[in-house]
Amino acid sequence: MCFKNLPIAFDEEGNAYLKEGLADPYEHKVVDLGEEQEVLKGLLERNGFIRNVDYDPVTRVAGALAFHSVVDLEKKKVLSTNSMATLFRGYEVILKGRDPRDAAYISSRACGVCGGVHATTAALAIEMALNIKPPPLGIVMRNILLAIEYMYDHPLHLFLLAGPDYSEELVRETNPELIDLAAETKAKNKDVHGYDTVLDIMKDLNPLKGKLYLEALTMTRVAREAYVLIGGKYPHPQSVVPGGLSVTVTASMLNEVYSRLIKFFDYSQKVTGIWDDIFDFFLESNPEYAKCGIRPATMMDTGVWDRPDHYDATFENCDKWGEARWSTPGVLVDGEVVTTKLTELNAGMEEFVEHSYYEKWDGHRFKEDPNGMPLSPNHPWNKETIPKPGKQSWKDRYSWDTAPTWDRMPMEAGAYTRMYLTAKAQKAPDSKFLENTGTSMKIKIPKHTLPEKTLEWKIPEHWNAFERNRARAYCIPYSAMVAMENWLMAMDLIKNGETKVSVPYEIPKKGTHIGFGAWGAGRGFLTHHLVIENGLIENYQIITPSTLNAAPRTPWGEMGPYEEAVLNTPILEKFDKPEDYKGIDILRAIRSFDPCMPCTTHIMAKDSDHIVTREVTTCACGIE
Amino acid sequence: MVLNNILIGTVGYQLLRNHSVGPILLPQLNAKTWNGKVTIEEMNWGPIAIVQYFQTLEIPFDRVIFLVALERPERKIGDISVYQWIGQLPDEKQIQACVGDAATGVISIENLLVIGEFFKIWPKEVFLVDVEPGAEQAGEHLTPEVKAKVPEILRILEELTHDGEILRKTKKLQGDTLFEA
Repeated sequence: MCFKNLPIAFDEEGNAYLKEGLADPYEHKVVDLGEEQEVLKGLLERNGFIRNVDYDPVTRVAGALAFHSVVDLEKKKVLSTNSMATLFRGYEVILKGRDPRDAAYISSRACGVCGGVHATTAALAIEMALNIKPPPLGIVMRNILLAIEYMYDHPLHLFLLAGPDYSEELVRETNPELIDLAAETKAKNKDVHGYDTVLDIMKDLNPLKGKLYLEALTMTRVAREAYVLIGGKYPHPQSVVPGGLSVTVTASMLNEVYSRLIKFFDYSQKVTGIWDDIFDFFLESNPEYAKCGIRPATMMDTGVWDRPDHYDATFENCDKWGEARWSTPGVLVDGEVVTTKLTELNAGMEEFVEHSYYEKWDGHRFKEDPNGMPLSPNHPWNKETIPKPGKQSWKDRYSWDTAPTWDRMPMEAGAYTRMYLTAKAQKAPDSKFLENTGTSMKIKIPKHTLPEKTLEWKIPEHWNAFERNRARAYCIPYSAMVAMENWLMAMDLIKNGETKVSVPYEIPKKGTHIGFGAWGAGRGFLTHHLVIENGLIENYQIITPSTLNAAPRTPWGEMGPYEEAVLNTPILEKFDKPEDYKGIDILRAIRSFDPCMPCTTHIMAKDSDHIVTREVTTCACGIE
Repeated sequence: MVLNNILIGTVGYQLLRNHSVGPILLPQLNAKTWNGKVTIEEMNWGPIAIVQYFQTLEIPFDRVIFLVALERPERKIGDISVYQWIGQLPDEKQIQACVGDAATGVISIENLLVIGEFFKIWPKEVFLVDVEPGAEQAGEHLTPEVKAKVPEILRILEELTHDGEILRKTKKLQGDTLFEA
């Protein structure tokens, strides 16, 4: 039984039911955060070395994230944390009342990087709601398109956003003691990347000038070129539609894609070698680094990349087609797989707004999913988005992000969760290039200019900032090989004359239809929950990876993943005076999640006068 | 004098009324007959991608003109300023912040100019036709104040495509904040 906290039980035949005898089955505790704040206030007043450290905005992340922490600079310990999404996301409101066919195009705009995954997730939600099954080539090409999108996103995160935190310039500033050591430490993977010492790598990670930084920019171009061949344009593809893709696929177009894809073969070997060398160096030079951003591997993922012989879009069969994906959906609690079923993933989801700038909604329209599994009133199909800007208070409300949970637990999300779950669950079908061992994922990279090589990503003992980024590096070969496998399938389909990429469909003018799209973004977990009523969108709810990761406290006081990861982070930076403190360890912890706040938060257009408002003060000064 | 190869680029988010002056006027710019070789481009597709586009051009542009809307102090809605960007760069931390924003989808003329300058893609002459939009508002159309200025905007752009009188009246602009030099 996967649920420990929600009142859902299963009979002997595996049918879910709501536990009986509970007056309010979905009741939850609400704790007063005021007591903790009073304690902190006293500490701040009495001790000069205990300081508020605010990052507003957190730079090198996409969008508006602010982070508040209270740090004991003498004991080098973080005492308290608050993650703040500082703008409202209005997509749920914008989509209400529209034709469902608008959803892919409008929701795509939720992010300037992940437009394709939002569009696809919207298409999947409609496909489920209306039982639209795309043809095999449509499914396969969608897989390639989105694998390529990840191949754009991963280098960008590794070298442009998180990478500078490990560059020579930054390490020299924050931990100069590591520079000499890095100069003496031989790089273990010189055969694939060519760097003699760890310091040589660090120098080329320097922003703007480092060769690795500039090479990553070039690789994003390669990925983008391949992407637009299928999607039409980047970042908001024009060809993603419910029922497949609206693009003509030919062998010639596939060859154009292949000529870009092949460049990621060598690059995969190089990038994984680079980051293995860098992270091994940090962890070996000071084992305390293993605590940077540490939290339990309690994470969830939707899975991605559908098998054309399994995917039929229906809710009824979603457990089967979900488990057949190249990346397995599911939930990990403290590193253990608790489910790989999309129905259970879906039923366990709730969103809470007690510490967010939203009003609680009334009603519990969908008490069960289409298979009869109980759903909470806080489930996305039941949730309504009612923005309520207000005063910022650590005791009360402090974020435009909500607190999503699964089985009442805050969940982390990331591209790395995709690897972790797939490797651990061993549910993914056989693959030419991928092998899941239960403790690792082996990825066979074909020969290009470098010889063929099998890379192995191993599930780490500790889940920390370094391991998040290391796994992200391995997501490049993972994505590239899924793209390759689908490319081979696409070629076969074309050879067999199966060139259809989409199916026609109609939006029924009457009745209620519900569906959810489940497809990971470059940064992990993404769901769109859709309710169609008489031909129009009645409710639309988006949960992004950063909605999960940047979450404020739950009503019962549990921290969101950023908050927890930063709280556990030791201060290893070297500084003489408190004013020299830069907070690199905290920033490494936050950036390892690859925060994407445009997905999490957006500008609000009030219904009344259409004025775009940005009325929340993000400055943490003077906040209670 | 007619220059050989000129780019007029529009930069700005859509559906923000006057703040979207570039995207709103794009169809008109495309429909207009220009003297000489003038390329009209919507330039919202990311500074890094634009850098890479410029790097692949076989014939580089002689002059780049951007049509944008920026809020500036002491201007009335619809006021038009013409600037020549002289290309000084902010410090590297700021440039890296611009790259971070650019890579994650932010549309901004400041970012585009700074990143383009850093990667040395701009020709000697980069001009901004900068319209005062007033406060941000959601909507598909220009307000009457800016709508009334459309002929003037088009005339200025036309003048900038050849060496018109306007070139002697341009103000200089520098750095990432786009304040007057």
